[in-house]
Amino acid sequence: MTTERQGEIYDLGYQRYDGPREGRGRARRALLVNGIRSALGIGRGSRAKVLPVLLFLSALGPAVVMIIIASVAGPGFEVSGHAGYYSMIATILLLFSAIIAPELLIPDRRDRVLHLYLVRPLTPTDYVAGRWSAFLIVTLAIVYSGQILLFLGLLLTASDPVEYVRENWLDIPRFLAAGLVVAVFTTTLPMAVAAFTSRRAYAAAFVIGLWVVSTSTAGILATSEQTEMRTTTAPDGTVTVEVEESGAIAGDMAKWFALLSIGDVPIRINDMIFGEEAESGFGALVEELPEIVPIGWYLILTAGPGFVLWRRYQGIAI
Amino acid sequence: MPPILEAKNLTKRYGSTIALDSVDFEVEEGITGLLGPNGAGKSTAIKLFLGLLKPTSGSAEVMGRQPYNSIDIRGRLGYMPEHDCLPDSINSSEFLSHMAQVSGLPPSHARTRAADVLRHVGLDEERYRPIGEYSTGMKQRVKLAQALVHDPTIVMLDEPTAGLDPGGREEMLDLIRRTGREFGISLLLSSHLMGEVERTCDRIVVLEGGRVTQAGAVAQFTQETQTLFLEVDDNLDELMEALQKHGVQAELDGARVVVQDVTEEQYDDIRDALVDADSRLRRLAPRRGSLQDIFRGDQA
Repeated sequence: MTTERQGEIYDLGYQRYDGPREGRGRARRALLVNGIRSALGIGRGSRAKVLPVLLFLSALGPAVVMIIIASVAGPGFEVSGHAGYYSMIATILLLFSAIIAPELLIPDRRDRVLHLYLVRPLTPTDYVAGRWSAFLIVTLAIVYSGQILLFLGLLLTASDPVEYVRENWLDIPRFLAAGLVVAVFTTTLPMAVAAFTSRRAYAAAFVIGLWVVSTSTAGILATSEQTEMRTTTAPDGTVTVEVEESGAIAGDMAKWFALLSIGDVPIRINDMIFGEEAESGFGALVEELPEIVPIGWYLILTAGPGFVLWRRYQGIAI
Repeated sequence: MPPILEAKNLTKRYGSTIALDSVDFEVEEGITGLLGPNGAGKSTAIKLFLGLLKPTSGSAEVMGRQPYNSIDIRGRLGYMPEHDCLPDSINSSEFLSHMAQVSGLPPSHARTRAADVLRHVGLDEERYRPIGEYSTGMKQRVKLAQALVHDPTIVMLDEPTAGLDPGGREEMLDLIRRTGREFGISLLLSSHLMGEVERTCDRIVVLEGGRVTQAGAVAQFTQETQTLFLEVDDNLDELMEALQKHGVQAELDGARVVVQDVTEEQYDDIRDALVDADSRLRRLAPRRGSLQDIFRGDQA
């Protein structure tokens, strides 16, 4: 016996929406989530995911290497650990932010999707804050993933894990604070640059160029050595030339010129948080300055581009 | 019923240029055309109602609130710009769902609305294809769909048929009419094409040089200029004389007789003139004047 089924299909036509409307709060959250997805290439073709995934994995590389070294070398050997992690991934972070951050701003302006955002319950400030926060969250996820992986790895390879936690638990708030410092810096500047260009390649090239030029300039000004040449002639006519290094050309100014290497500024703050002393390089020179100087310089280097970014979108021509 | 949009002594200046000069008009439920040549102030008026621009003086109110200051009222507005505004790399389903959320809808509702609206604009089958692969007509539909996805009270359309071929233009106008009549969403349609406005809108507001020159129901404009065409097989000259004798003002347009502003009583006189002239009637057709005729007349 079969059961006869009866059904009818109705064309209900257009249905008005009478569900919840969550206003500006929902709009802000949607923009934030969309920004995170865009940065990671989610919702786009597989090609869009390759670069973020590759850079993400690269940022984890130093943590994995340190864990392997720690486990092989045994308890007597000390790895650089949490304090040195951010300086190890600085170049990868630079590449990541230079290449990916423009993805969050430039297509919206170029394709003029920005117009559609600004006629909805969003202000230009909401838009900029949403995009900036989205990239900050992605950057934090990268820097914290490496640090958390490193902490867990060192914990598991320690001969006495409980003792390890007791001695090193302070590293957790330190790397959280230092990670925030590094992430805010690597988020703000590339986004400010991206706010003025229509092509992602230009933005990436400018940011990478800025890093290279600032580091080179600081290198030339701060670390070039002054040499003194002395020529002596012996009674038998032998001429001896002595070359002696007599310190940096810049003299006392060298430590100030070291600040020009902007990529090293957040690393110096990181060292201050961990209570580490730089043994060489720009960090060692900046250490000679009062602590307030690199902190102030860091705030200028983040608040300045942040203000420029915010200002760019106020009253943007639409 | 209170108006949905209301311009009160609205002025917008860009430096020394006056885009809108102390205009007052209202937009009620239904489809309203904002008509005028390029530079008349149509886009400026729309941007003021969307809250994208701040009035220099006066106010642009949406349901009694000013969207420049009241951010949440924008969740009740839809906007379809004239220019391209779509991302190429994502599909229309994802894009619409995102736009619905940015208008304040929760994610699950946003996804349902996106699917519904894409079906209504005829893009159901194409919704998972990247927008970059769409034709111009399909992109126009996505633009309309994003303006409708959050079920706004009013949608503002800026030259919605720009760049479309004649077939695509008719389809878009049909979709706009359906949106206004079947979906119950009010529309403000900006256009410089009078034919489009006449066939689509219930009411018009005419802007010229930043001022409102005319406003009212489309039917009101066209009814006042009712015209009658007569075509006869023979005795054309006799018919013209007979019409004059019966007091009907008529003129020749090629082989046709045109009677402007015909009234109900004049139909009897026209019948008698046809009998007197012994003309065989081939065609008698009333025609409403088009908006084009009205404005051509104004400019003459």
